[in-house]
Amino acid sequence: MRRYLYIILFAIVLMTPFVMRQFMVSEAPAAAKSKDRLVIVTPHNQDIRREYARAFSEWHAGRYGQSVAIDYLTPGGTNDIVRLIATTYSGLRGPDKQLPPEQRVRAEIDIVWGGGDVAFDRDLKPLGVLRPIPIAPRLIAAAFPESSLGGVRLYDQTTDAAGRIQPQWIGVCLSSFGIVYNPDLYATLGLPAPQRWQDLDNERLAGLVALADPTHSGSAAATYMMVLQRAMADAEIELFAQVPALQSLPKIQRESDPRYREAIARGWKIGMGRLLLMAANARYFTDSASQVPNDVGNGEAAAGVAIDFYARVYEQQIGSNRMRYVAPAAATAITPDPVAILYGVKGERLTLAVRFVEFLLSPQGQRLWILNPGTPGGPRERSLRRTPIRRDVYADRTGWADDVNPFTESAGFNQRGEWMSLFGETRQIWAAAWIDSREALRQAYARARAAPDAAKRTELIQKLASLPIELRDVEALSTERRQRQKQKLETDEWGARWRIDWANRFRDHYRDIARQAAAWM
Amino acid sequence: MTQILTTAIPDTSAPHTRRRGASSESARPLHVLLAALLYLFFAVFLIWPLLQVVWTGFVRKDGGFTLAYVRLIFSDPVLLRGLWNATWIALVVTLLTLAVAMPLALLSVRYEFAGRRLLTGLLLVPLVLPPFVGAIGMRLVLARYGPLTQFVRLFADLPLGIDWTGRWRIVGIVIVEVLHLYPIMLLNLQAALANVDPAMEQAAANLGASRARILRQITLPLVRPGLFAGCTLVLIWSFTELGTPLMFDFYDVTPVQVFKQISDVADNPLPYALVVVMLLTSIVLYVVGKVVLGRGFDAATTKASIAATARQLPGWRGALAAAPFLLIFLLAVLPHLSVVLTSVSATGAWYKTFLPRDYTMGHYAQALVDQLAMPSVRNSLQYASLATLLAVIVGLCAAIVIVRSNVRGRGVIDALAMLPLAVPGVVLAFGYLSISIWFKRKLGGHTPRALDVQEWPVLFLVIAYAARRLPYVVRAAVAGLQQTPRDLELAASNLGASRITVLSRITVPLILANLIAGGLLAFAFAMLEVSDSLILAQRTDYYPITKAIVELAQRLGDGLYIASALGVWAMVLLTLTILSANALLGRRLGAVFRV
Repeated sequence: MRRYLYIILFAIVLMTPFVMRQFMVSEAPAAAKSKDRLVIVTPHNQDIRREYARAFSEWHAGRYGQSVAIDYLTPGGTNDIVRLIATTYSGLRGPDKQLPPEQRVRAEIDIVWGGGDVAFDRDLKPLGVLRPIPIAPRLIAAAFPESSLGGVRLYDQTTDAAGRIQPQWIGVCLSSFGIVYNPDLYATLGLPAPQRWQDLDNERLAGLVALADPTHSGSAAATYMMVLQRAMADAEIELFAQVPALQSLPKIQRESDPRYREAIARGWKIGMGRLLLMAANARYFTDSASQVPNDVGNGEAAAGVAIDFYARVYEQQIGSNRMRYVAPAAATAITPDPVAILYGVKGERLTLAVRFVEFLLSPQGQRLWILNPGTPGGPRERSLRRTPIRRDVYADRTGWADDVNPFTESAGFNQRGEWMSLFGETRQIWAAAWIDSREALRQAYARARAAPDAAKRTELIQKLASLPIELRDVEALSTERRQRQKQKLETDEWGARWRIDWANRFRDHYRDIARQAAAWM
Repeated sequence: MTQILTTAIPDTSAPHTRRRGASSESARPLHVLLAALLYLFFAVFLIWPLLQVVWTGFVRKDGGFTLAYVRLIFSDPVLLRGLWNATWIALVVTLLTLAVAMPLALLSVRYEFAGRRLLTGLLLVPLVLPPFVGAIGMRLVLARYGPLTQFVRLFADLPLGIDWTGRWRIVGIVIVEVLHLYPIMLLNLQAALANVDPAMEQAAANLGASRARILRQITLPLVRPGLFAGCTLVLIWSFTELGTPLMFDFYDVTPVQVFKQISDVADNPLPYALVVVMLLTSIVLYVVGKVVLGRGFDAATTKASIAATARQLPGWRGALAAAPFLLIFLLAVLPHLSVVLTSVSATGAWYKTFLPRDYTMGHYAQALVDQLAMPSVRNSLQYASLATLLAVIVGLCAAIVIVRSNVRGRGVIDALAMLPLAVPGVVLAFGYLSISIWFKRKLGGHTPRALDVQEWPVLFLVIAYAARRLPYVVRAAVAGLQQTPRDLELAASNLGASRITVLSRITVPLILANLIAGGLLAFAFAMLEVSDSLILAQRTDYYPITKAIVELAQRLGDGLYIASALGVWAMVLLTLTILSANALLGRRLGAVFRV
């Protein structure tokens, strides 16, 4: 009998959950019966996927008398999705790397939904796989009274031959990046609550700051860009106060003025220094969006950079003595989270895909992002706690899970297109300075902090923060990349090569600081 | 006496070789057919997907061949340090694993003491820890304000807690890997020790050799196949280990560098070139291991001819023998315990305390009704069973060709079977993905559903699981065959038995224990396979348990707790898998596990 004991136990353990599930779940009649199907690839979580699949099907049935089944593909995070789509379409390209005419392509996936505007605008759009969304201009006009928020475009502004807007992606909700911190740990450290980005530079936070990897998360990189641009804008304000005449000059003239250029370069350097000290305090550079709030909530890190809705969900669950979210005034990165229709979607599927976009932009689809569960038009199980992108739905916030309004939070700061053009290169510089030479940075920072004399310590840390790179170096890299692309020269090896070179220079800089600090011991 | 001992392990002495050569002359057609099928299998399911991916590391944007990226690797100090770190961490881990497993294996096989069966079984528990949940559990144990810190805080005032994962990273990585990998070494050593003919040792003892000398000159040489199998598996595993350094946020090792760059936004060929370098390094490590431990082993006369008798250790001596088992078990089981506690802890109730403040069974109820959890369990059981079956069949064929034939290129088959160990899961997974896309491109609308990963990923998942875990089965089967005297098969052949009869009636029963050991490992790891699952299973309906756990753990709030509940269930089920296989096969499995 004992021989069979384990086998019986095995069978019991195996079967119990399946049997119990029968009593606990009354399976809803499958929507899979529906004739109409949409294939959507998305990094959105299970709650969002489930609620929107149900709500869209109901909305569609109400309007067109037919329910719709949504087939979600979830290959992982945003980068995995970009790669999946790139691989899927690379097979279709001819020898000249061009895609055949759309009529000859059968799209495997209808829609990409979620992942941040950076991925859509900088990764997917250049692949040529996003098709213009044939959505009625009046719907765009109704959803977006202004086409941008704080200098960030809310939808793609590609136009067709006739000059009509034919967006390749449209933002359907907003995410903002701010500071999360653990009040309990801050009290232990004896530090005041962080308010501005530079509050994360405090040397007492060494090893206690949780950051996302700028090369992996487009939204995190956009946030660091925000810190940089804030410092540049401050330098500009300062200059205008000293030389008011500059402010009234036309933009092109102003930008060629050496005083202006010098001030902006100085601001850039200050911003890079702030970021470097944040990076020196960093515990890690994670790829997972939920790791930062998790570790801050557990006291593993004292503060970090995180998406607002993650922080809000978690704060509610574990209490505000362990987790709080701060949107740094006039420096919060607010970005749209888009939807797009893929190249090769035709006929019935296209109609259906456009309807899905219409639903997402409708007041009903917008409120679903933030309503409490159980409220009319709200989610069934739990609130999704994301912020809608339509300004008009903020007028009535009854039944909302969070009383927030990013349209007022973003006030007072604009991202600049001309500064954003350096985005790609700057990300790689950060990677070289923070991640590739991380061990040298840690050692130099530890040595500098160990200097017994307070004044010397500050001096060493300031020196450490002053990286041996200038704005013009990054501009030169950006110009060279454009030229190489124009001349059809390869950029991969070139890009990898300069990243190694810069990482070597930064490492030498860190080692030099470490030596100076050692000499002082 | 030394002479007696050395002739007991004939190397490749001339008459012996001739006999083998002569006998396999007639066996050739079957062996050649097997070898051909194996080559086909590896070509289609291993080489092709690998080439699909690796090729990227050698192609310019304009399509031309280039070595620029490989050169780039050797000019980058970060990547070079990564290779160096990965290598020495792997070596240290292997040595420490051996140092932990060897005494335990000897104690468990040679001595009888109170609780031995239970303790030996318990030591295998780390094998059944789902890796993502294991990482979560380890993070909990080693948290700044985690239970370990709370324990230390009993003796010291530490307002900021202890930064275990930040300050002691490399030490932490080594310890965690040793505690995770020692069961592999232990299984292999126990199997090898159990196969050693006690008559050999008894003969040496009769001739007056001391116990230390018997160990050094008889036992260790005889267990060399097991030693080799264990060391290579652990060495290559720890060399390519991704999860542990990632958990400690240590980026300067090659696997993490590959992973980070492959999941980079930029379409960068460098990580693919780096994979090639990593692969070559793994092969070098494997070859070095083979030269040091595995060369020319031909134990024609091992396999116990008489039953071994374990020495009784009564009273305090028994307790002394049990102590190391208990210690290692307790250390290794810490993450499991914390996962169990997490699964019953109220959301957010485990903070700055030794144990959670509030308990609930609610997460289990939630796991039951969750749309992902239960279907994923059913899927995983199906995939893992099919993959194990496939791996055992292919692994047995490979072992027969490797050990029993003189087919040309059988060494290549051996190397190919081990190759999956050196390939990061992500790379192989992308290879399968691009194969599926290749089919769709060639066949268009006529692509069979089975070849379309987005429609029905089951075929590719099963093959990926089987291919990834083939090395365990092959190593186990090869060790079994090497320790099984050829003479028994030859005798059966002489008596007129057909090749199939010899295989099914003599060979397979003799090495059944090894096959089951390898198969169990393959099953357990297939159930817990992460990287293939993440990339290949894209449709919720086909999610395996690991992808469900990852997805749940990323859901903030109760997600981690539901994932833990699922993880606990998986641990219980896998423990019972091993125990019931043990019960079913009785002494035959006991010969391997000695439980």
